[in-house]
Amino acid sequence: MRRYGIRKTIRSVATIGIAGAASLFAYSSAFAAFGQPGGVTDEARDMHNLYLVTLAIAAVVFLAVQGALIYIIIRYRRGKREDMPAQIHGSNIVEFIWVGIPVAIVLALFTYTVIVLNTVERGADEDDMSVHVQGFQFGWEFTYSMDNLGPERSEAGSDEEFSIVGAGLDSPELVIPVDERVEFQLQSDDVIHSFYVVDFLYKLDLVPGRDNRFAVTPRETGVYQGYCAELCGVDHALMRFTVRVVEQDEFDDWVEEMRGGGEEAVSGASDTTSAVREP
Amino acid sequence: MATVAAPGTQAYARPALLDWLTTVDHKKLGILYLYFTMFFFAVGGILALLVRTQLAVADSSFVSNNAYNQIFTMHASAMLFLFIIPVWAGFGNYLVPLQIGAADMAFPRINALSFWLLPPAGILMFAGFLVEGGSANAGWTAYSPLAQQSGSGMDLWIISVIILGVSSTIGAANFMVTMFRMRAPGMTMFRMPIFCWTMLVTAVLQLLATPVLAAALTMLFIDRNFGGAFFDPNTGGNAILWQNIFWFYSHPAVYIMILPGMGIISEIIPVFSRKPLFGYKAFVFATMAIGGLGFSVWAHHMFTTGAVLLPFFSFMTFLIGVPTGVKIFNWLGTMWRGSITFTTPMLFGIGFVSMFLIGGINGMFSAVVPIDFAIHDTYFVVAHIHYVLFGGSVMAVFGGFYYWFPKIWGRKLNETLGKWHFGLMLIGFNLAFFPMHLLGLDGMPRRIATYSESGWEALNFASTVGSFLIGVSMIPFLIAVVAAFMRPKDQPDDPWEANTLEWGTTSPPPVYNFDELPEVRSERPLFDRRHPDLAGGGH
Amino acid sequence: MAAIESSPRHEEGMSNGMLGFILFLASEVMFFGGLFAAYFIARADAQEWPPVNLLTEEQIAAGVQLEMHVGLPAIATAILITSSIVIQWAEFQIKKGNQAGLIWGLFITLAMGVIFLAMQMYDYAQLDFGAGDTIYGTTFYTLTGFHGAHVFGGAVFILIVLLRALGGQFSAQRHEAVRACSIYWHFVDVVWIALFTILYIVPE
Ligand code: HEA
Ligand code: HEA
Ligand code: CUA
Ligand SMILES: [Cu+2]
Repeated sequence: MRRYGIRKTIRSVATIGIAGAASLFAYSSAFAAFGQPGGVTDEARDMHNLYLVTLAIAAVVFLAVQGALIYIIIRYRRGKREDMPAQIHGSNIVEFIWVGIPVAIVLALFTYTVIVLNTVERGADEDDMSVHVQGFQFGWEFTYSMDNLGPERSEAGSDEEFSIVGAGLDSPELVIPVDERVEFQLQSDDVIHSFYVVDFLYKLDLVPGRDNRFAVTPRETGVYQGYCAELCGVDHALMRFTVRVVEQDEFDDWVEEMRGGGEEAVSGASDTTSAVREP
Repeated sequence: MATVAAPGTQAYARPALLDWLTTVDHKKLGILYLYFTMFFFAVGGILALLVRTQLAVADSSFVSNNAYNQIFTMHASAMLFLFIIPVWAGFGNYLVPLQIGAADMAFPRINALSFWLLPPAGILMFAGFLVEGGSANAGWTAYSPLAQQSGSGMDLWIISVIILGVSSTIGAANFMVTMFRMRAPGMTMFRMPIFCWTMLVTAVLQLLATPVLAAALTMLFIDRNFGGAFFDPNTGGNAILWQNIFWFYSHPAVYIMILPGMGIISEIIPVFSRKPLFGYKAFVFATMAIGGLGFSVWAHHMFTTGAVLLPFFSFMTFLIGVPTGVKIFNWLGTMWRGSITFTTPMLFGIGFVSMFLIGGINGMFSAVVPIDFAIHDTYFVVAHIHYVLFGGSVMAVFGGFYYWFPKIWGRKLNETLGKWHFGLMLIGFNLAFFPMHLLGLDGMPRRIATYSESGWEALNFASTVGSFLIGVSMIPFLIAVVAAFMRPKDQPDDPWEANTLEWGTTSPPPVYNFDELPEVRSERPLFDRRHPDLAGGGH
Repeated sequence: MAAIESSPRHEEGMSNGMLGFILFLASEVMFFGGLFAAYFIARADAQEWPPVNLLTEEQIAAGVQLEMHVGLPAIATAILITSSIVIQWAEFQIKKGNQAGLIWGLFITLAMGVIFLAMQMYDYAQLDFGAGDTIYGTTFYTLTGFHGAHVFGGAVFILIVLLRALGGQFSAQRHEAVRACSIYWHFVDVVWIALFTILYIVPE
């Protein structure tokens, strides 16, 4: 095409080219592992699918625009030409097209967003199991009450409760049964915290003065890492916890053990938790 | 018409320092703004390097948890309130009167006041490090009730930000009046340079949003010092109220932080593509649309509070991508079939388009509410912040620097050093911030002083290396600046063959800017003068 | 400073100063908007209003009562509204070239403003609750306090304009400061009417 001044141009293009390619490479190599964990609850799986669709759209938009950019700056570099290019001031048709396409994408993605949002935000049924989560500076207290342990286990009218507490590096463990819908009732009396379980792909804030709750149905047993995701003071970084999802009969045994153990079970529980590490 | 001669500047001897301290000349004030803000860029950058040093490895104890909270809070506060927001006022001060063919801003003394409010505010904010309990440490977002617990450094921070708000509000009114009233003959609104348009929309946002922040800060101050109950649910207040009011300001504020940058890029790209900006009017309307929509999306920062209307704010946030897309496409359209030279300003322009694109797209991930449930308050958001603010705004700052340096200081920055600066910065930047996406998806919360997960170490280490590389990239820049100042002022009026009025006067311009104004018949008066044959077709 | 204009001023319509002033008022509106928002949210959250249910034992023991007396503020309101009319009258006078009318008008407005402030101070002293007594006290004192500060600012503004009027600086053609001053005073007045309505008239 243009033969003159190529060396100098190449050097400049190389600067952008290499850096552009580096970021492109980072983007695409990351793509394979562009790693949101798959999610271990019904809700998380829906959200993960939405994520994958969004990622695909994002990748297309990114590659199209970045590709066009790189193509244009290589194709239309000046070299030694001194002629003026045609003075194009714009084009209404083109403007309409590039308003229209994003609008279409956005509407489609928004529709899908609302569908997933509705399932995720569905909430719990009357007799679903629930756990009370109290956040404080800098730890967690998970309280189970016997009249709220789901249709099979609940002892209506019972006011028996047990809790698991842990703070700082002695992070507590929350235990729930697999394949059962569990509601988390989040509460804080000091500052705002946020209950974040990575593999649930979900977090919800604990706001003083608010009654925030959400429900999930875990589908895979295992131990999952949780964090406080809202800056809450000096030891915010240490406000970690784990969630252990177990088979249902294992959960029943655990409940019995906790009920029998009373206070001891509480401290016993935190002992086991500190032994458990990430999955 | 302006007829005052430039050489008269030295006619009466006033000590140079006093002259700078008492000046009401928009150009000098603009330069003062640029010095001030670049200083705080360095300060904020050094704080960032402390953050990165702490996070380089797991379970690090380079700084204490408490110190860490102060450091990242002050990093963001310096970068946002003392660097990126006022830096646009700096460019605007220098350029807006020149670009519209005026002698000065509408209110030169108020202009001086806008600037002189900054140094005390900067000192107050950083004085926090000296008081008991340390500086502000609740993040730049100062969420209540946490912000109630901080020491008196937080009060200093509040006062400082209020002062900065006053500065930016009166500055905004000044810019608006200047652009409405002081344009040269022939310069209709739709012939104003795009940079002026973006400054105008920014000024509207500042005028309407900043006072709301002042109200929020006032309430926080009352709660902290006079037993107020605004944000305390136990006495009838509302903990979420702070977030609503804060983000009502701070979302528009992120456009305050980017729009003038987009304006700068829109000056640079046409010049070095030798074509007019593709779709000038579409660009102006897109800027207005972003400004307008910007007021209706604030709660996308609050999706996980359980207290906002999710679908509404999600939808409005989605919509903002459309006018932003128009701009990106217009830049591409400008370069398309152009005649592109890769000068340093242009490299930063292209870098902006490329990197801001990534930042914008990952912002869209957060607009998808169920995805935000996962990535909110993780490093994914930190990646977003820096791709838009560094990959966008900071790129534009440097692009503008290289582009207008010959005009402002009469000398040119060395091109080779500039290319090293750009290249190192681009690589360092991507190395520093790209891994944060992955960390965030993998669940690393933001604002944590330390972590124990060994799986996060490699990516964090890479990020730290990248951030130091950004620091290294500043060396060629600084050398270029020093070298330039050691050379004589040898730049012609219009070294780049540019389009807008500021290139029609000497470099640097005389005190009253223009000895003679070129005729304005389109948004590219200088182009028209250079190429009478090609003139017209504009607005 | 700008002794020489490089661009023609658009002399038709308002001056630059007036435009700047109106923009400044727009930012003031937004500032009050933020404070009002806090009040409305508190109202929306409250189980009852005034929120006596939130008073602690100590507060009750200390005699805190969340009650307002409408009488005095109603009179103050009437004074403020009247003063707005007076300053408008003063502006009309100078438009006709009547210096004395301007001076008297400004003087009366200033006096009424000061009386308003005095009554507000007295009212504060009467009340059995403070700024720390629930969100009720906080919003009340913050809103009225900031309004009071603006009345004070307006009074200073009037005083300056009055002094300039005494110096004979205004004429039928040149009296922009008077216009700005009266606009500001109307603004302060309107904010007060809104405040009076929400704080005193519709408390339930
Ligand atoms: C310069 C500053 C800047 C800019 C320009 C933006 C731009 C955008 N931001 Fe960003 N944002 C911040 C600065 C900025 N942001 C900061 C500082 C925070 C964190 C604050 C804190 O908590 O500390 C934040 C946080 C933040 C959040 C909250 C995240 C969370 O805390 O969970 C969200 C959520 O929606 C968001 C969204 C967006 C969107 C949708 C845009 C859009 O404007 C982007 C639009 C651009 C594009 C989309 C790319 C170009 C478009 C096309 C190529 C067309 C095709 C596109 C489509 C079809 C979609 N931002
Ligand atoms: C304009 C805005 C801006 C800019 C430019 C930057 C720049 C950088 N930021 Fe920042 N950042 C924010 C705005 C910005 N940031 C915000 C808003 C937050 C959120 C805070 C919060 O959660 O409250 C944040 C948070 C934030 C975090 C997360 C902290 C946490 O959540 O715990 C991190 C972590 O790595 C980080 C790193 C960096 C780095 C490495 C840079 C680098 O790019 C810096 C590069 C600059 C330099 C290296 C300085 C250059 C030096 C000179 C010019 C002079 C040299 C002179 C001498 C050495 C003498 N930033
Ligand atoms: Cu609790 Cu962070
Ligand atoms: Cu936002």
